[in-house]
Amino acid sequence: MINEANKPESLHHANESGPPMDNAIIPEKDLFQLNRRRFLEAAGFTFSAVALSGCTRPDPELALPFAELPEGIRPGQKLTYASSCVDFPSGCGLLVSVRDGRPLKMEGMPEHPLSKGGLNAVAQALPLGLYDSHRLKNPLRLGKKSEWKDVDEAILKTLSSVKDSGDAVRVVTPTVTGPTLKEAIDTFLKQFKDGSHITLDTVSHSAILDAHEKTHGARVLPHYLLSGAKVIVSFGADFLGTWISPVEFTADWRTNRVPIEDDPQMSYHAHFEGRVSLTGGKADRRYRLAPDEFGTVLNHLYAMLSEKAGKKVETAKLRKSPIAEADLTSLAERLWDARGESILLCDSQDVAVQVVVNAINHLLDNYGKTLDITKPSLQAQGNDREVLKLIDELKAGKIAALFVAGTDLTHNLPEHGKLAEAISKVRLVVSLNERNDDFSSIAHFVCPDHHLLESWLDAEPVSGLVSLSQPLLQPLGNTRSILESFALWSGNKSSAYEILRTSWEKNILPRSKSKSFRKFWDQSVHDGFIEASSVAPKVSEFKTEAVALSPQAKPDEYCLSLYTKVGLTDSRHAHNPWLQELPDPITKVTWDNYVSLSPTTAEKLGVSDGDVVSVEAGGSNVELPALVQRGQHDRVISIALAYGVKGTDRFAKIGPQWLESRLTVAEGELVGKNAAPLISTANGSLSLTRDDVAIAKTDKRHELAKTQEYHSMELPKNIAPYGGEYRDVVESTTLAAYKDDPEAGMHEKHFDTSVQLWPDDHPKKGHQWGMSIDLNVCTGCSACVVACQSENNVPVVGKDEVYRQREMHWMRIDRYIDGEDDDIQVSHQPMMCQHCDNAPCETVCPVLATTHSSEGLNEQVYNRCVGTRYCANNCPYKVRRFNWFNYSHEDSLVNLALNPDVTVRARGVMEKCSMCVQRIEEGKIDAKRRGVELTDGDIQTACQQSCPAKAITFGDMNDSKSEIHTTLDNPRKYGVLEEFNFRQGVSYLRVVRNREEGDSGEGGHSNHDAHKHSEVTPSNSNNIVNLDEKRTSETGGKHV
Amino acid sequence: MSETSPLRPALVTGDKSLGDITNDISAPMAGTPSPLWWAAFLIAFSALVLGVVAVTYQIATGIGTWGLNKTVGWAFDITNFVFWVGIGHAGTLISAVLFLFRQKWRTAVNRSAEAMTLFAVMCAGLFPLIHMGRPWLAFWMLPYPNERGSLWVNFKSPLLWDVFAISTYLSVSAVFWYIGLIPDFATIRDKTKPGLRKTIFSILAFGWDGSARTWLRYETVYLLLAGLATPLVFSVHSIVSMDFATAVLPGWHTTIFPPYFVAGAIFSGLAMVLTLMLIARKTMRLEDYITVKHVERMCLLMLSMGCIVGLAYGTEFFIAAYGGNAYEQFVFMNRALGPMNWAYWTMVTCNVLIPQVLWFKSVRTSLPLVFVITIFVNIGMWFERFVIIVTSLHRDFLPSSWAHYIPSLVEIATLIGSFGLFFTLFLLFCRIAPAIAIAEVKDAANVKKREILLEARNEPPQIIDTDPIPANVDPSMGC
Repeated sequence: MINEANKPESLHHANESGPPMDNAIIPEKDLFQLNRRRFLEAAGFTFSAVALSGCTRPDPELALPFAELPEGIRPGQKLTYASSCVDFPSGCGLLVSVRDGRPLKMEGMPEHPLSKGGLNAVAQALPLGLYDSHRLKNPLRLGKKSEWKDVDEAILKTLSSVKDSGDAVRVVTPTVTGPTLKEAIDTFLKQFKDGSHITLDTVSHSAILDAHEKTHGARVLPHYLLSGAKVIVSFGADFLGTWISPVEFTADWRTNRVPIEDDPQMSYHAHFEGRVSLTGGKADRRYRLAPDEFGTVLNHLYAMLSEKAGKKVETAKLRKSPIAEADLTSLAERLWDARGESILLCDSQDVAVQVVVNAINHLLDNYGKTLDITKPSLQAQGNDREVLKLIDELKAGKIAALFVAGTDLTHNLPEHGKLAEAISKVRLVVSLNERNDDFSSIAHFVCPDHHLLESWLDAEPVSGLVSLSQPLLQPLGNTRSILESFALWSGNKSSAYEILRTSWEKNILPRSKSKSFRKFWDQSVHDGFIEASSVAPKVSEFKTEAVALSPQAKPDEYCLSLYTKVGLTDSRHAHNPWLQELPDPITKVTWDNYVSLSPTTAEKLGVSDGDVVSVEAGGSNVELPALVQRGQHDRVISIALAYGVKGTDRFAKIGPQWLESRLTVAEGELVGKNAAPLISTANGSLSLTRDDVAIAKTDKRHELAKTQEYHSMELPKNIAPYGGEYRDVVESTTLAAYKDDPEAGMHEKHFDTSVQLWPDDHPKKGHQWGMSIDLNVCTGCSACVVACQSENNVPVVGKDEVYRQREMHWMRIDRYIDGEDDDIQVSHQPMMCQHCDNAPCETVCPVLATTHSSEGLNEQVYNRCVGTRYCANNCPYKVRRFNWFNYSHEDSLVNLALNPDVTVRARGVMEKCSMCVQRIEEGKIDAKRRGVELTDGDIQTACQQSCPAKAITFGDMNDSKSEIHTTLDNPRKYGVLEEFNFRQGVSYLRVVRNREEGDSGEGGHSNHDAHKHSEVTPSNSNNIVNLDEKRTSETGGKHV
Repeated sequence: MSETSPLRPALVTGDKSLGDITNDISAPMAGTPSPLWWAAFLIAFSALVLGVVAVTYQIATGIGTWGLNKTVGWAFDITNFVFWVGIGHAGTLISAVLFLFRQKWRTAVNRSAEAMTLFAVMCAGLFPLIHMGRPWLAFWMLPYPNERGSLWVNFKSPLLWDVFAISTYLSVSAVFWYIGLIPDFATIRDKTKPGLRKTIFSILAFGWDGSARTWLRYETVYLLLAGLATPLVFSVHSIVSMDFATAVLPGWHTTIFPPYFVAGAIFSGLAMVLTLMLIARKTMRLEDYITVKHVERMCLLMLSMGCIVGLAYGTEFFIAAYGGNAYEQFVFMNRALGPMNWAYWTMVTCNVLIPQVLWFKSVRTSLPLVFVITIFVNIGMWFERFVIIVTSLHRDFLPSSWAHYIPSLVEIATLIGSFGLFFTLFLLFCRIAPAIAIAEVKDAANVKKREILLEARNEPPQIIDTDPIPANVDPSMGC
């Protein structure tokens, strides 16, 4: 990625002494090497700078595009800068593509030790958040536009009175990992007698930290090292989707999930959950278990493992385990066998439960191996007790000044009315949020922070890994960095850049091996992160006495489970239409949150998809449409947080407006409803799970817009033809079968597709681009969907158009749910243009608007397309997208997020995945310019680049050294609808589940497949013997 | 033209002389139209206006104003197209094929059937045009020399074949219709007083002088054109069917489509001709020219076509089951039992079950019943195309992409508008050209023959008041 041509460089070459504007142009080392040319350049520029600074506000850290280009840089050329995603505590490494001073595309940084080149959907959507005209452009005073001078004056005046009176000052933020920001807040708070910094996360992991305080004597969050885990058992922790650091965990989890022919090994992943999460769907064995019963099952598991460790634990008092004892015993055995190579994860917010989790991990000798608490994770530092204390203090009127940054306090906490009333009693309420959100609207002052891509910030997601975020353009509005705001209120008028540099020189440099700060700094800005030494927290030996198996309370009729969606992890991103329109990977619903119910419960309540139900808990009531979700626990009612965000009614008319169109957001409503009022504050935690919940059907309806209408590979029973009941578009097998035959699970083939009528007609010379997607590691996280949308200018169409099945995503993720309710298998399949050599779309276009390139690409010529849609009808994969309307943009600012390399399509033309042909051409031109051969990896498609699981391989199939070439021989390789001889350029690698053949609930599919396979390879006598055995054992099975 | 046995039943009743025939048929063209005509015209024209508004709105706004989606890319648009092309088939069938087979009874209906063909093909041609995302670039479908690096069209695409097939059919039908009109235009020219009207008809009559030489040339040309048009009856709908048959989509990809579509087209065309004939007969008082016997012939033809269509439906299912392609099997199961099964069963009921009553002569000769049946067949044949297009598309290969389809108001208005266009044109045609081929009817009416017979008996023709042909003669007219 980082090559000579687009070498990441700071736009902000340090140059404190130079003229204000030329720091972006003259590299430091050249400053004093004046020659005639350089002198004239500098003189000319200084002149214009003086002229300009006469009429604009002088700014010491202007981020400007190169006004005069250094040699080798062309206008319009893509420059890549290293940064990091400090908006999220997980702190992924970023490579930002900037073109003519516009950040356009977020890419993962392959060198980053945590994210390893991956990036999630939310980070991919950052540019749209940047070019959002609804971000605040000015500070506000009592809701009115104001000046920084006036706002600061007023705040400082109140603060000095607070200082004098010694009253309480509170700063509330989500988890802050950046040492500099932490220091700035601490410095600010130190001015006051009673000042403290409170961390409030949308999803609190407070219990894990509290449990470690009990068991290890330090309030730390372990750094989970999934790459070392051969057995992963998760209780509700959606570690591939939303839990703590999903990108990092996905990359680590992947390392043990790719079976190779010579050594077919895979980690085993068992998952217990109430709702259906991304991670649960990906598990080898998913158990339905309501979150309020995690404790019971964990207690039994602990007891079993203790017994193995030679310590008998009294279990008589415990409630009976809802999971079959045989299942638990075999799981305990697996865990015990993989001591030191296993990991137990749990998202419970009950400290007692987390203590048992720690005890089990301790029993299994995992600490120091798969859980690191000497270099702990800093990605979740929320402390529920402190938050609850703050609420009490607010209610008691004890707080004099409240500063909130990066979280919509009143939106994210329950008891909205009481809280707002309590806040109204606070003398000084300041919001540093980017938007006029719910909290900002009741704050006295809003001091909007820069967008991440406009800020200098740092992050330390895991102890010892410090990363930098650099601004990539001049702030679009009159906003101010949070660092500057807190520094100013502490009496320091430095710029964010200076504050960061000072802090790094003082704090980070000593932790590194470097001596010279300038070199260290330049290197850090270039790389985006550094590995530094860290002080290990004082961790004691495991305190066994802390572990007490308390009998869990008897579960109620229902159990509410609140969660965040993969595409919307935080209410701050609710203003991003890419994320709102991103289908949830499991439910495929866009533009809404909803109440997920199991089919049984839905039937009991008499509701179906779209019937509004009322959920009542703790005196609060939320009315949301129901969604029937296969695989959901019958007692569990799950609702996504981060919806119903103030201001999202702006999306009402985001889609095309015509005769029959319906608004994306109904009059007087918002996108979804806020479920935070249902958060339980009992037991000293902000619990997303509670039992005291009631649900009732209402007579209202609210249609949900899903991108997929049919959810299974099994055809509807009443119309399925005999023998064709199951369409294995996602082929799968089990590890046991794979060990016997790496090609197990292969689709039954009726035709020999190797024979061609005119094989020499189109010789496959030169480049032949191809793609392969490993379905075994694809989690369905949808990062690729947003990456593609960002790269290829895919429009947002609004809820009504999605409801009419007209979403425009070039890359979609097909999701199938099969199997029995208590053991479902979820299959994800990224689906985009398959670039068939025998493309059905190409022959039918009357005007030759879709043709085949000599490099194996199926090309769509927008200019030539007249829009007959015949190609889309004839596409077996239904990947072609038609421009039904001219999709308008909200305003011209959004247009800045458009990629200039890709045409914006007009109404009436067909479009589809081009395999990022613009990147292919760029790569080829670049190689030609440099006079070298293209090498594998020079060209990466947008979807491939940021896939956290590295499931997508792209390259030249004719290049024998390429990775894609080797996948052609992978025994797991197959093509969807291969038997039709479309000869696709995209292939898939079969799913392998780490299960035994006889495992219940596999639905017989894999057996069925294996049986089919054995038919086509009759030479494999082993298989036939197996087959007969299977037949006798499966006679009652529905697929035999 | 040819000898006809006097034993054949009369094709024209009411004992008409040549002058009567001319006067009767050209009557609707002179004078003010009847209130019935005005009422019909107003309804048809309102429908046309509605259609124009809908299409204008759709072209201005986008194809999104239709109910189509990512999976169902064609629905009402191509359904209407195939439906109207099908309607257009009966005209040529009646004028050309029946002409070659010397079916004299065709003379009562061939003119209006040809006009209907023309208007139906015009309606049909509209849909491929407006169904395009960018209809203003429709001329790109034509292979003309251009400056875009001489960018050619895709000769492999069935849609291009459609362009050729439909335009050929339209032009041949128009020429055939016009040639047939020449002697009639001359008749009207001769009846008209000098003035603009006479000038116009003089030009349209193309210098017709009624001489034996003119007649000879005329009949040669007519015969040749009939020969030329006959293969088109079979080729046009075969080519239209290839839009589907050459696709990979299960439910479309079948080799039975060309004959199946031709039979269906003739079926629907006959039904539409009958519908129109029965209306025209009543409104324009042409009961003596369009007799119950004509209607009965048409019913028999329609019945036979209906049976062919029914056989095709059965064959599709059989081949799907026998062929062993699970995708194809599913499509047919889904058609008959899936979420859109109502459309399928409407089609089967209207096209196969209801026409079976035509086996009974009492039904065939009951004009109100026949009228109702033709309406059913029209509906059924529209649904046939809808079923083929939509039920095959909406659930194809990947279950993830299955979708529903609900038409939008704009689509429905466009369908109504196409009927409006058709009937407006037809009603105008009735006013400006003879709705029945005068010259041909005169030939078929055997007036001359009767005169000769009467002359032989030395009786003056004008006092004959009984039909010289026995009424109980076998009505069979076939060769």
